[in-house]
Amino acid sequence: MTVFYLAGALFLLANVVVALARVLRGPTAADRMLSGELMGTTAVAVLLLLYGATGIEALLDVALVFAILAAMAVVTFVRRTWPEDPAADDEGESR
Amino acid sequence: MRAPPSPTASDPGNGDGLMHPVEITFDALLLFSMVVLAWQGVHARNMFRAVVSFIMFGLLTAVAWVRLEAPDIALAEASLGAGLTGALLLATLGRLAPERRGARRPKVVKLSTLPWLTMGLAGTTVLLAVTLTLPAPGLGEAVLAAMPAAGVDSPVTAVLLNFRAWDTLLEIGVMLLAVIALWSLGQDVLASKPRLPAPALPALVRLLFPLFVLSTFYLLWRGGHGPGGAFPAGALLAAGLVLALLAGAQVPERMRGAPLRWALGAGLFAFLVVAVGLMWAVGTFFAYPPQHASILIAIIEIAAGLSIGVMLTALFLGGEPTDIKGGGK
Repeated sequence: MTVFYLAGALFLLANVVVALARVLRGPTAADRMLSGELMGTTAVAVLLLLYGATGIEALLDVALVFAILAAMAVVTFVRRTWPEDPAADDEGESR
Repeated sequence: MRAPPSPTASDPGNGDGLMHPVEITFDALLLFSMVVLAWQGVHARNMFRAVVSFIMFGLLTAVAWVRLEAPDIALAEASLGAGLTGALLLATLGRLAPERRGARRPKVVKLSTLPWLTMGLAGTTVLLAVTLTLPAPGLGEAVLAAMPAAGVDSPVTAVLLNFRAWDTLLEIGVMLLAVIALWSLGQDVLASKPRLPAPALPALVRLLFPLFVLSTFYLLWRGGHGPGGAFPAGALLAAGLVLALLAGAQVPERMRGAPLRWALGAGLFAFLVVAVGLMWAVGTFFAYPPQHASILIAIIEIAAGLSIGVMLTALFLGGEPTDIKGGGK
């Protein structure tokens, strides 16, 4: 069963790497932010699976903290960092 | 902060000393992603990309601490990295002029790469050598031996608030100094206009805020016997308060001035009262009598947690809230 949980965690981590590609490629700021949020949600699932594999109860607390803080980055982004032209490629050289 | 030494700390695998291939693949993938994100965080030409990479790096760092069986540090990294650090960086980015947001200073001059690389490699080698020569069990056993007199069940909390309470007092003092320094620079910068109207946000925050407060006290309570304690709890409280500020909440009129300053200083104040009071009662600075250690630590922990939350929020505010109306909404 432990191996099953670990394999699940590994599969989700592979998803994180795919999301990483989107963070790097963009092209808009919203794309990067959303794939970042996806990584956050995936990290919660990875932690819960690692709890299944190891049984360390503190992992549930870490997952809880991640889950409750998930809204922070995206709310700050929407309220403070939203670009003037959201459709624009946010690479510096295209401005 | 160091994780409590656990019997499995030396072999995080399945008990027979060997790691399962799935675990090795997991760790390799984790390391690879962390290196890519760290590189992006430092070298991406686009600042927004760098900030998002840094936030994601924090997420994966917490998972890495979990893999190293250090859940206390994972919790601290999760609560500070995923919450307030990201919010601070994103809000700062929003305040930069658009032309400064995209472009960054030109790439590092090629000539200086070699010396830096040499110094970096030399530094890493020295650190590695030092790590290898460290006494193997560390201070873990000394801490465990002293646990009966600590007043709490968690070794990490015992170190932070009993054996090395003086260090934690100074940490809180440094945070308070940072707030004082920042507030001396000018008035609050929260008045910057929200970039997008978010009609559903106040409702969301009204739902979420009680959960933040509940989790804050849960982590404070948890600190007595497991990973948790004042710093992660304070970070969660700060995240809740910052979320409320982002939704358009104002610092209440009656809280400004003296009450807010008392809240900021509460942690340091409680620490000093306990330390000096003990010097008067017992004769030694910061030496808890074992029968009262538990309650004294609880008082300090609650005061420190609340005041860390207010201090981190004050750092996000960027200045003392003024009486000028307007701001968020």
